[in-house]
Amino acid sequence: MSFEPKIIAFLCSWCSYTGADTAGIARIKSPANIRDIRVPCSGRVSPELIMRAFDQGADGVLVLGCHIGECHYDTGNHRAAKRIPVLHSLMQFSGLEPERMRLDWVSASEGERFARIATEFTETVRGLGPVAWRFSPEDRQIKAQSLQPIDNDFSMPVVDCAGKTDGIRAKAKELLASREVGCVIGYEVGPRGRTRPSFAYSPDEADKLVWNPDVSNNLVSYLPVKLKRTGKEPPKKVAVVVKPCDSKAVNVLLAENQFARDQVHVIGVTCDGVRDEKGSLQSRCQACTERTPFVYDSLIGEPVPAVTHGTQDKAAWLENLPPLEKIEFWLYQYDRCIRCYACRQACPMCNCPTCLYERDDSIWVGMGIGVNEKRTFHLGRAYHLSGRCIGCNECERACPMDIPISLLNQKLASEIHKSFNYRAGLTVVPSPIVTVLSGEYKEG
Amino acid sequence: MSKSNSETKYWLISQDELDTWLDGLAHAQALTLVAPREISGVVVYSPVENGGHISKVFTRPVLSVKGVFFPPTERLFTIHKTGQEIRLDESFPERETVVFGVRPCDARGVKLLDSLFLDTNPVDSFYLRRRENTTLIGMACDELGPTCFCTSVGGAPDNPQDMDIMLYKVKGKYLVETLTEKGRFLIPGGEWIETNINPKTALSAGQFQVPKKGKWPEHFNDTYWMKFSERCLSCRACAYVCPTCRCFAIRDERLSRGEFERIRCWDACAGENYRRVAGGHKPRAEKGDRLRNRFYCKFYYYPMEYGLGASSACTGCGRCIDVCPAGVDITEVFSDMEGSV
Repeated sequence: MSFEPKIIAFLCSWCSYTGADTAGIARIKSPANIRDIRVPCSGRVSPELIMRAFDQGADGVLVLGCHIGECHYDTGNHRAAKRIPVLHSLMQFSGLEPERMRLDWVSASEGERFARIATEFTETVRGLGPVAWRFSPEDRQIKAQSLQPIDNDFSMPVVDCAGKTDGIRAKAKELLASREVGCVIGYEVGPRGRTRPSFAYSPDEADKLVWNPDVSNNLVSYLPVKLKRTGKEPPKKVAVVVKPCDSKAVNVLLAENQFARDQVHVIGVTCDGVRDEKGSLQSRCQACTERTPFVYDSLIGEPVPAVTHGTQDKAAWLENLPPLEKIEFWLYQYDRCIRCYACRQACPMCNCPTCLYERDDSIWVGMGIGVNEKRTFHLGRAYHLSGRCIGCNECERACPMDIPISLLNQKLASEIHKSFNYRAGLTVVPSPIVTVLSGEYKEG
Repeated sequence: MSKSNSETKYWLISQDELDTWLDGLAHAQALTLVAPREISGVVVYSPVENGGHISKVFTRPVLSVKGVFFPPTERLFTIHKTGQEIRLDESFPERETVVFGVRPCDARGVKLLDSLFLDTNPVDSFYLRRRENTTLIGMACDELGPTCFCTSVGGAPDNPQDMDIMLYKVKGKYLVETLTEKGRFLIPGGEWIETNINPKTALSAGQFQVPKKGKWPEHFNDTYWMKFSERCLSCRACAYVCPTCRCFAIRDERLSRGEFERIRCWDACAGENYRRVAGGHKPRAEKGDRLRNRFYCKFYYYPMEYGLGASSACTGCGRCIDVCPAGVDITEVFSDMEGSV
């Protein structure tokens, strides 16, 4: 029996769904492989729905909306036009053939156009054969496929940490003594000599704060919780020590109204990079040229000129793999995920009260440890961070299983930069693909 | 699982003999060999198809061996619904498994899980099957790792008591000790040379003083827990790598039309929704409450509930210290509590 592809088509009720009707009335033939789903607007087709369709075994997903300028809701299709290409690049990076996903515009009167696109798409997908996206252990085994090791070993520059430590302590003491802030979030050295987050509430406690080459944690992750209103009193102002990368997270959260600017005192520290556990410069720092935080109320340390290390792009090798090998590579990586959610919890941007992928009703993803479920979680999370991820790589550092999750985030960051000339957190402007509803946020 | 002295025998074997033996076990059709295996730079206990898959570097695997007996996801049964008829099907794990390279702390962890899953009614039939079908081959650790503290909680890097077979490195060779009948069964007959060398077990003193059981209740309401947990990110890494954390959540999920499964998956007290009940109430809403629960569970609740006597439910493997992205350290609680008298 010849292969008949299963195709899910999300059709806008105002245009393409009617367009499909028009095709029918005009007795124009269109393939029976298409399962229509009528939606109020192409902007309603959240990327999770498309991912879900592929997870459930769709061979192709077609999204059809109104032509730009003709949206019933004015800008609903703009939303689709912005979001779906981003998802497209993520799916392609994960090994889906790009031809299996298509976004196009069909108006209510264009019955012929609908039939042409539907036929074209079906034939393309038919030509590609059955999709290899969903993994079932009965069909195949996951081939061991690791990231090519790259020797980017750069030693840490020698930096004046004592001066910065003194600066942070003095500032923290001043802020706490004057009661300007209730808490200073900084770094301390724990009993095992490990640098870790620290919370100082009094000038005396400020003496434990330090700066050293191991200040890896992004302390901005703790801010939303600290600034959450719990009692009748508004929460006290909080000071936070940030590196340049961390400071971008402050900007993103400000842009998304997670807290107000006057609720935080940002102690910016100029940065020369941090070490990994082997003692060499962390990979994110090798590519980083930012030495001064983007937002701060007080600045500690003198900015030094940036040194750029000509680092090899880890993802380049992956980009060039054939689709099936990409799928296999990622499955092999996700396979060892234990769903501990350390990546999500360490992320300053992952601040949903309930993660979409941890709902009780398993509506987007099951609770189990299957590799399909884990991929859905990681891709969904990566998509939710597109245009929001500031590249602190805390997710990857927190991962006990060393899954190279940051590759997904980097891919999407570069995609957003290419399409929108936007980089997250440089200023207080929300991501171009995040919809910010105006007038809903009330301070206090 | 019970130790009988008549089974205790010793052999001295070379590296080659060990490799041949393991390769044989890996290729055996009747059983699955699970051993430390390096996957993209991470060592985990994983099924191996030949001896070459076994990690040469004998580092402590990132995950404990508990997943062999209590997997991250277990299907309890499937539900088939046709019209008015509902049928339940359950299938039990029956495959023989041999785990090689088990650390004494991990074997201790399995022993501790027995108290809940086997020694208390109702017996967990899935765990029981896996436990009965599995043989543990231990390997004595050369030394304590930087975060290990098994000697502080009654263990030792060369403690064979919870194994079926124990291996010790002796001058470039391996001393093999069988401790149970199950272990004896795996020894290749006649090929190995028996010996009467006894492994030296030098119990070193623990570096930490674990607070006595009576001490825990009086500190329950201390503000210390809120402060100590501040840096906790509420991820579940500590519980998932732990050899004795055994909380799980159960859910029914749809497989296809008319077909469902009931699964149980690992859960952890650090997670924000831990123990949430209908209506949304969370008995342990603050992360301080949840992290405190983790320590109390190890040193007070579990030992009290399941009669562990003086020992604790922590085996001192130190994994939680290693994986914590925020630097929470279980051993710090010991000293802080001891100092707070």
